[in-house]
Amino acid sequence: MDFALDDDQALIVQTVRRFVDKDLRGWAGDADRAGAAPVRLTTVAGELGFFTDAVPEAAGGLLDGPYPHLTRALRGLELGRGCSAMAALLECNVEPALAVARWGSAVAQAALFASLVDGGRATTGRDARGRLALTAAGDGVRVTGTVGPLPALAHASHVLLCAHQGGAPVVLLVPTALGTVTARAPSAWRAAAWGTLALADAEIPGDHVVARGADGADATAAVLAWHRTSLAARATGVAIAAIEHARHYGTERVQFGRPIGQFEALIGLADDADTASAAARLMTLHAAWLLDRAHDGPSWAAAADAASRARVVAADAVGRATVDAVQIFGGYGFVNDYPVEKLMRDARPYAQLVGDERFDRILAEVAPTGA
Amino acid sequence: MDIFHDNPMLTGVRQMLGAFATQYIRKVAPLHDREESMPWALMKQAQSFGMSQTAVVDGRKALTGKDDADDGAGKPSTQGRLGVVGSEELAYGCAGICLAIGGSGLAASPVARMGTEEQKQEFRRLLQGDDEHGHLKVAAMALSEPSTGSDISSLSTTARLDGDHYVLSGHKQWITNGQSAAVYVVWAQTDPAAGRAGVRGFLVARGTPGLVPGRKEHKLGIRASETAQVHFEDCRVHKDLMLGVGAESKGLADTKKMLDSTRPMVGAQAVGIARAAFEYLVERVAGGTHHGTPLATHQRIAFELAEMEMEIQAARALVHKAAWMADHRQDNVRMASIAKAYGAKVAQAVTSRALTLLGDEALEPDHPVEKWYRDAKIYDIFEGTGQIQRRIIARSLLGVNPT
Repeated sequence: MDFALDDDQALIVQTVRRFVDKDLRGWAGDADRAGAAPVRLTTVAGELGFFTDAVPEAAGGLLDGPYPHLTRALRGLELGRGCSAMAALLECNVEPALAVARWGSAVAQAALFASLVDGGRATTGRDARGRLALTAAGDGVRVTGTVGPLPALAHASHVLLCAHQGGAPVVLLVPTALGTVTARAPSAWRAAAWGTLALADAEIPGDHVVARGADGADATAAVLAWHRTSLAARATGVAIAAIEHARHYGTERVQFGRPIGQFEALIGLADDADTASAAARLMTLHAAWLLDRAHDGPSWAAAADAASRARVVAADAVGRATVDAVQIFGGYGFVNDYPVEKLMRDARPYAQLVGDERFDRILAEVAPTGA
Repeated sequence: MDIFHDNPMLTGVRQMLGAFATQYIRKVAPLHDREESMPWALMKQAQSFGMSQTAVVDGRKALTGKDDADDGAGKPSTQGRLGVVGSEELAYGCAGICLAIGGSGLAASPVARMGTEEQKQEFRRLLQGDDEHGHLKVAAMALSEPSTGSDISSLSTTARLDGDHYVLSGHKQWITNGQSAAVYVVWAQTDPAAGRAGVRGFLVARGTPGLVPGRKEHKLGIRASETAQVHFEDCRVHKDLMLGVGAESKGLADTKKMLDSTRPMVGAQAVGIARAAFEYLVERVAGGTHHGTPLATHQRIAFELAEMEMEIQAARALVHKAAWMADHRQDNVRMASIAKAYGAKVAQAVTSRALTLLGDEALEPDHPVEKWYRDAKIYDIFEGTGQIQRRIIARSLLGVNPT
C-alpha cells in the first residue's frame, strides 16, 4: 500500500497545476461569460499533451503503452480546480480514443485518429434511459433520436455512443456528419461547446459499430468506468476549489466584528466539505488505480464498481461544497463577480451526465443480466 | 385545502394567482431569466389584478375587495395568510418575476408601518404613472451595504442634519429595483452615538441630486428581478421625508420587525419553487420510461417523489402556521424564522435532487428545473441567511446568541 505519487505523476500534477493557476483560472470567468473557450486554449493545452494523449503513437498520437488512468485522475483533480468547461474540452477525446483503439475496426480507428490528430474533438454519450431507437441495418445499425446535450459535441467530428439494440448494449462511433448538430448553451460549463446530435434513420456502418455482443457489455462498462472516474476527479477538483475560495473569503469578510470564517457554523460547512472532498478524492484515485490494474473478470468488475461509486460520492461532494461555498459568500456568492457562483452552476453536470449510478446498481441487482 | 385555508377569499386568491402563474408568468420566465430583464409588461398586467406597486401602502382592498379594517376589531387579520398564499403561487410561476412584481412592497412596507399620511401620499405620488420608457414605476428598499450583509447593525451610510435637510452619504448593495426605482427608502445612521436607535429610513425620489443608481448585478438566479448598487453622494433629503419621527421610531429595530413580517412570505416563495420542480418531476415520471419500463414503477424514482412531497407539505404547513400566528397577533418570530429557513432548505434539496433524477435532459438550456435550482439558492441568503435564522431560533430556545 503506497499513497505517494511516483516521479512521473508528481511532475504531471505540478505541470497541470501550474497551467491551471497561470492560465485556466484566469481564463475561466471570461470564457464563462463569452460562452466559449479562448482560442489559445488549444495551443497551450496541445503543447502540454492534451487532446491526443489517448491516441496511439502509431496513429500520430502520444500514447505509448497502456493508458495511465491514475495519472489522468490526478490531472482531472487539478483541471477541476481550474475550470469545468475547459476541463471537459481537454478530457473529451480520451474515451473515444481508448474505446476505438481497443475494440474498433481499422476503418473506425483510421477515421477517428485522423480527426483527433488533426485537432478534432470527439465526445462520449450514453442513452441512459433507452430513448434512442436502434435497429439493424445490414451489418450496421440504424439510429433515430437525439443524442445529448453533451460537452464538446458542437465541435466534435465523432460521438462515442453507449446505447442498446434489442436489449443488448452496443458501443457506436457516430460521425456527427450523419446527423444534425445543434450548439446548445446551458448555464453549466458554458464554454464547453455543448451540442445535441439529431439522428433520423442515420445508418452507422458496421465498421463503426465499435462493440456489440459480449464485447458490447465489456466496452460499455469500460467506457462508463473511464468516464465516471474522470468526471469524479474533475468534480472533486471543483469541490476543492469552492472550499479554497470560501475559506479565503471567510478570513476577509468581517460581520459582527469578526471574520465570518471564525463562526462555528461556517467552519462546520467548510469542514464538512473538506471531509466529503477528501473521501471523493480517495475513492476516485482508488477507482483509477484499479482501472490501471484491471484485467478481465473480477478485477475489471471491481474497477467498474469503484468508478461508479466514486462518481456518486464526488458528484454529491461537489454539489454540497459549491452550494455551501455560495452560502459562505452570502450575497456576494450569488453574483457573478465572485468565482463561486460559476462553480455552483458548474457542479450540476457531474451529477447528471451518463445516467444515475445508484439506479444502475439497483437495477443490476434486481435483474443481474441487465446492463 | 388545509386547515388554514377554509376561507373562500384565500382560495380565490390562490386560484387566481395560480392561473396567472401558469398562463402568463411561466411563458415569459425563461426569456427574462436568459436576458436578465425585468418583466415590465407582466408587471402592468399584475397591476390589473390588484398587485400594484403601492399595494402594501394601500392595503389589500384592490386584491380582495376588503380592507383590514373590515375584519372588525379583535378579529384575526387575513393579511399574513393572504401573503403566503399569493407568494407561493407567484413563485411557483417564477421566483424572479414574483420578486419583480413584489419588489416595491419591500420599500412600501416601512412607509405603511411608520410613514405619516403625507409620506404615504408622497410615496403614492412618486409611483404614479409610467416612466420615460413606458414602464410602471417601482420602489426600492435600500438597507444592505457592501460591508453590511447579515450584520445590519453596522450600517455605515450616514444622514447628517443640515438646516431643513438631511445629507445622505454611503453605498448600498444588493438593492432590488436599485437601478430603475422611482423612489428609494434608504436606511442611514442619523446619530452614530445612538447606535441602532439612530438608524432612520428616508424617502428619496429618483433624480434627487447625489442619488446615483449603480451597476446592475449579474446573478445566479432570480434574474427577472433587478439587483443593483445604489450610491448616495451628499444627497440632500428634506427632513419631512424621514420615516418614524421622534418616539415612534425604534431605529433599526423597525427594520428587523419588518423582516420578521416578510419571512413567512419568503418561505412561501421557496415552497412555490420546490412545488414547481416537484410537479414537473411528477409529470415526467408519470409519462417516462427507463428502457421501456414505466419510471413510476421504480421505487428508486417514486420514493424520491414521496420524500419530496413530505418535505414540501411540511414546509408549507410551517409557513402557514407562521402566517396564521401573525394574523392572530401572536409572537411568531421563532416560527417565521423556522418557516423561512426550512422553506429554503426544501427548495434547494428538491430542485437539486430533481435535476439529478432528470439527468442529462435537464442539461438543456432554459430547462425550468435548472432555473429553479438557481433561483432557490437566494432563499437561504436574502432576508436573513439560513445561519441568521438558526441564530434567531436558537436564541429563542436558549436565551443566548450562539457564535
